[in-house]
Amino acid sequence: MRHIRAALARLAGFFTKDRADDDLKEELQAHLDMETAEYIRRGMAPDAARRRALLASGGLTQAAEAVRDQRGLPWLESVVADIRYALRTLRRSPAFTAVVVLTLALGIGANTAIFSVVHGVLLKPLPNRDGDRLLYLRQSADGPGQANISFSVPEVHDFRTGVPSLGGIAEYSPWNLTLQGDNDAVRLDVGLVTGNYFDVMGLAPVLGRLTRPSDDGAGVPPVMVLTHDFWIKRFGGDRGIVGRQVKLDGQSVTVIGVLQPAPFFPDRIDALLNMVVSPHHVSAMMVQNRSHRMTEVVARLAPGATVAQARAEVAAIYSRLQSDYKDAYNPGSHYRIAVTPFKEALGERARLTLWLLMAAAAFVMIISAANVANLTLMRGVRREHELVVRAALGAGVARLRRLLLVENLVLTLLGAVFGVVIALVGVRLLVSLAARYSPRAGEIRLDGVVLGFTLALSVALALLLSYIASLPQEGTFASWISAGVRRMSGSLRKQRLQRGLVVAQVAVSVVLLAGAGLLTRTMIRLSEVDSGLRAEEVFAMDVPLLQLSGGPSGGTDPMAWFRHIMELDVAAKEQYERMRSEIRALPGVTEAGLGSSIPLAASTLTFDVKVEGEALAVGEAVPRADVRTASPEYFRASGIPLLQGREFTSTDRGGSGLVVIVNKTFADKFFPGEDPVGKRIAWTGPLLKLSPISGDWRTIVGVSGNTRDGGLDAEPRASVFMPFAQMLSIGGALVIRADSNAPGLVAAATRIVHRIAPAAPIVRVLTVAQIKDQSVSPRRLNAELVSSFGILALIIAAVGIAGVLAFSVSARTTEIGIRMSLGADRGQVQRMILREGGVLLALGLVLGVAGAFFATGLVRGLLYGVAPRDPTTFVGVALLMAAIGILTCWIPALRASRIDPAIAMRSA
Amino acid sequence: MDVQQGTLALMILRTLEVLGPLHGYGVARRIEETSRHRLTLNYGTLYPALLKLEQEGFIAAEWRQSENNRRAKFYALTAAGRKRLARETREWQQTADLIAAFLAPRREAP
Repeated sequence: MRHIRAALARLAGFFTKDRADDDLKEELQAHLDMETAEYIRRGMAPDAARRRALLASGGLTQAAEAVRDQRGLPWLESVVADIRYALRTLRRSPAFTAVVVLTLALGIGANTAIFSVVHGVLLKPLPNRDGDRLLYLRQSADGPGQANISFSVPEVHDFRTGVPSLGGIAEYSPWNLTLQGDNDAVRLDVGLVTGNYFDVMGLAPVLGRLTRPSDDGAGVPPVMVLTHDFWIKRFGGDRGIVGRQVKLDGQSVTVIGVLQPAPFFPDRIDALLNMVVSPHHVSAMMVQNRSHRMTEVVARLAPGATVAQARAEVAAIYSRLQSDYKDAYNPGSHYRIAVTPFKEALGERARLTLWLLMAAAAFVMIISAANVANLTLMRGVRREHELVVRAALGAGVARLRRLLLVENLVLTLLGAVFGVVIALVGVRLLVSLAARYSPRAGEIRLDGVVLGFTLALSVALALLLSYIASLPQEGTFASWISAGVRRMSGSLRKQRLQRGLVVAQVAVSVVLLAGAGLLTRTMIRLSEVDSGLRAEEVFAMDVPLLQLSGGPSGGTDPMAWFRHIMELDVAAKEQYERMRSEIRALPGVTEAGLGSSIPLAASTLTFDVKVEGEALAVGEAVPRADVRTASPEYFRASGIPLLQGREFTSTDRGGSGLVVIVNKTFADKFFPGEDPVGKRIAWTGPLLKLSPISGDWRTIVGVSGNTRDGGLDAEPRASVFMPFAQMLSIGGALVIRADSNAPGLVAAATRIVHRIAPAAPIVRVLTVAQIKDQSVSPRRLNAELVSSFGILALIIAAVGIAGVLAFSVSARTTEIGIRMSLGADRGQVQRMILREGGVLLALGLVLGVAGAFFATGLVRGLLYGVAPRDPTTFVGVALLMAAIGILTCWIPALRASRIDPAIAMRSA
Repeated sequence: MDVQQGTLALMILRTLEVLGPLHGYGVARRIEETSRHRLTLNYGTLYPALLKLEQEGFIAAEWRQSENNRRAKFYALTAAGRKRLARETREWQQTADLIAAFLAPRREAP
């Protein structure tokens, strides 16, 4: 209480200074007068009395100063004075101020921008209630495409009853539905969820209600919850949407609510519905078959339970399941399960890239800080005279230190302000980068936490800059001053520090440039990868016609749904063929083909496969292959070469013999050194029973070239093409080759598709070049970002070297003058300065290459086609740095050689 | 002899308790006299101490006419000041007794 009161009184004192000063003067004067009067009363002469009183007072000015210290907030007053002084000083050297503020702004801006992404995508708590207690369960097995195979309903059921540390387990099945609008149709990515889903996820509606357990099972009306993004994008945020009926795959579905903004995993989705919308999802096949895995699982830890407990319990149940159901967990495929916090799962694709960028930004910050430190040190030397004078006038070391601190704070905070402006621009660019890696990109903000980070960074920098400047020990000032010293140069130590900083700058630049070089080479390598098809003038359209939901709902006959789909398929095939032949007839089109998916896009369907006459070894993983279909023209239209055998013909159809074309990877894997044509293969495995595809033997009639379907950086997977006419038209894509200007034909082709199938959504239209670019462009952005950091570092480091050498030259002017008057020629002087810079450069290069040697190993996961310690990159980077470094040494060296000895020695 | 840290406040409070409202000069004279001129107070010691006590609310200041008709700032004890004085007096006496007991001459040789 007493302290608060005193503090308030002091604060008041700070603002009522002037009046209090008058008061104080009068009070002290009164004291003096009374004392004088007393001495006079005792018999002294007035003059002597007054002198005596003054002597006893101990000095009125000193007393007033002491009272002022007690009265207001002396530190605040002097800080205000310091800030005024700092601003005045900085205004007097605008070049220094501008360079420092700009350098700091670049460093702080880069760090603020990248940190805002790291914070938004990796660190910030999830918007879900108690989001850190959410877990993501992932089942995987050996083999291509088996990294995340999700779960079957019986598996989920076993976890629900057998894992007490999981308080709630929600099911979420990714699915596609076509939304029929008034004059368009769009393909939706949706999640079919159980009624407990939103409760487990800890999500709330912003409008209407969410699904609940009473929406589970068959025989209830289908309902839809919109995600926030989709609500804004499709319905413009219309608040009247709740209760409206929409058409999904031909069914009437009620919109019941809009969800709060939230990230989804593994993919972004448009809406969430109860299971009943898909008859398949409530059928016995889905609910009872252990191998029918199409459900994602998110669970919430029970109160008091830990992740470790959940892991142990899940592992225990899982090993029991594996021994109980041998046919669902083929031992050779090594089925396994991982329990990860949901937040980590959301960040897993972004983590490495983001930490790489954060490290690159931190490096830029180190280099900028080193530069500013050097500038400050050099300026410090020039200011020593001023500091000595101030010390002579009574400023203590602490006071001088504070003055420096205030000055540096003004600099770094100015840098922070401009840095935030830079970050505001940069964040927009970075959000588009982050969106490729993370479902949380929408949460990136320059919020309080990020600005707090920026502020902390600036203050830390200011402290660092203030404490590297060497001030003499308290008490040594007097001897300096009495000795008549103009400067306090302890400059040997200082120069060593400056040189150390230059070496560090060069080293860090080399590390950054090495990273940039590796990423750039990765990007180039990737764009050089042969995609497997002649790209030229080809475009593809995704037009799914089969609507898998709708039809007989949850009937007693599990095959009823298939029969319904087969009927739809006949109509769809007829429409596809009409589209194909009409587009083929367009002028400029040289070929048009049909297939299950557009070329270079991964197949969504894989099955176990077996070769006639060959048995699996014990413990060997069941081989799998991607399932694709192709019309006879598909390969020619796409430009996929046929390596052996024949293409499909129009006679390979429903009633004729079953034939397939396999790709080269398949042929090499199953028929090494043999001719696969004429051999027979068949689909097999527990999943096949759930599909309308037969397990009959199929004869290989041809071998096609490989295509990079999983992205340019993924090895081609084994694929089997079946004739489009012999298989259900899953997916559904048109591939169109033109003699020139393929993009110009898109409009005409789109019109044909819309005319033939008005209710069909066109999911995407892409040229093959665009498809290719999809796997290159995130790498390109990566490479560009790190490269721009690298170039920034190079520039700042170059300025640093030039600055330090220039300073050294100006400090050695007299010495150089003496050398030249004693006969050193210009060449010798130049070499001397170059040698000085060269030593720093060489040291920095050695350290940098060694640092890069260790650092680049950490980014192995982001590289493609280039080793982390790629010698070409390392040599190239070292040469670049050396060239730039020598160039920047040349300028001060030239200046040194032009020193006129006569002038240099006279001015000394 | 300089005034010990912390004891000056006590002396000021006690002076004001004994003599009633008083100006700075009066306080200084009284303390010097009471200490039999072993203590001298310069302004730079006295006035900050007075201000501190005022800020803490133990004394209150007021401009008044002095005995010889001069305008002077008079300080008076507040209720909080009285309480603090009582408490500190008690504590000082206890400390003094304790120190005295420690420093007392030994009664018998070992």
